[in-house]
Amino acid sequence: MGQDLRSLADEDVMQLVRRGDARAFEVIYDRHSPAAFSLAYRMMGTRAGAEDVTQDAFLSMWRSGARYDRARGSVRTWVLGIVHNRAIDALRRATVHDRRRAGDEGIEERFEARERTDVEAARHEEAGTVRRALDSLPADQCQVIELAYFGGFTHTEIADMLDAPVGTVKGRMRLGLRKMRSQLGEGQVAV
Amino acid sequence: VTTSDHAAWVDCAGAYVLGAMAPDEREHFEVHLAACTICREEVDELRPAAEALPMASPQMVPTQALKDRIMAEVEREAELLAQAGASADRPEPARARRSRGWWPPSGWRLAPVAAALLIAGVLAGTALDGTARDGTATRSISADVKAPGASAQLQVAGEKATLVARNLPAPPAGRVYEVWIMPKGSATPRPTSVLFVPRGDGSAEAAIPGSVSDTQKVLVTDEPSAGSDTPTGKVILSATTT
Repeated sequence: MGQDLRSLADEDVMQLVRRGDARAFEVIYDRHSPAAFSLAYRMMGTRAGAEDVTQDAFLSMWRSGARYDRARGSVRTWVLGIVHNRAIDALRRATVHDRRRAGDEGIEERFEARERTDVEAARHEEAGTVRRALDSLPADQCQVIELAYFGGFTHTEIADMLDAPVGTVKGRMRLGLRKMRSQLGEGQVAV
Repeated sequence: VTTSDHAAWVDCAGAYVLGAMAPDEREHFEVHLAACTICREEVDELRPAAEALPMASPQMVPTQALKDRIMAEVEREAELLAQAGASADRPEPARARRSRGWWPPSGWRLAPVAAALLIAGVLAGTALDGTARDGTATRSISADVKAPGASAQLQVAGEKATLVARNLPAPPAGRVYEVWIMPKGSATPRPTSVLFVPRGDGSAEAAIPGSVSDTQKVLVTDEPSAGSDTPTGKVILSATTT
């Protein structure tokens, strides 16, 4: 693969992907697949589930590269948004029983996750900042954000689970995200 | 936007940016969003926090096998696209740069279990080829496994080794397997951060840290779930690299 391709910014590489350049797509894959796979793994709970979601998401990006609009955010945000949507689709197709079982199976593989965490040391500090911002929220706000974002549950499902009014759940989501936003600070964490 | 329109959607921005709306509700909210400045501003304010959330996941590295699967399909489609001549200014199509004689036909989809088996097959295939796809020399070292019916190999590519085990029994309750490295010229195993539990079918893969040429032996013992600094359990397998 030519060094010139590797030296291009994501947005410029995407121009080539849009025209069907597989080598350009490989650059995008190499840059963003660790974050994409990590998110998929966190949501699906198993390596096999995470691989299915990552594969679906990247093939969908390859086939719909023209839909990337740099005015709406970074390539990384676009990639992670697609992975998140694919994982939610997969989770919502599964029954609650399956979703819980997937979580249990994931326990075994989280040992691998600990090893992998050491691999991507460069992102640790960034991850730590986000994790601390999330952990610093009141427990009820952190809980609804995690159930929604990583668990793929809708606010009405969460309200049922917690036996809380829907309005309360939505309010916690909004307040929690607002606090996170102010803690992360503008531009402090690049996504 | 009337007050009553907005009142129906108050507090919804958080659920929206988290992806926590059902599809039809989301569609209705997006219609409202197009007309409501208050909600748009709130979505814009909250979105960066939601977009940072993936960073809170433990960071992992996907397998080479996953990349190979995805790129095989991408390259196949790129070639079809190029042959179709859909546009005159398309860059030179990607060539099939890799030999994939052992790869299944394109267009397939795998169930998760089959995909996991295939990953194992890919690792084995690499060793049998004698060269990795990037031209690195590969070899396979059989491990001595202290469990009936179980087998394990070190798949070595250049300076990197991966332990691939089959039919490995689960470690005793509450314990995990830990990988140890015996450096050359030393009789003391050095702990690694590699802890694992085999999958339900007894298969397991673990990347061995460090350089193979500096290592004389790789060992695996069962240890408490947080791992140990000195071995406390039985050696389930060992492989000598020289």
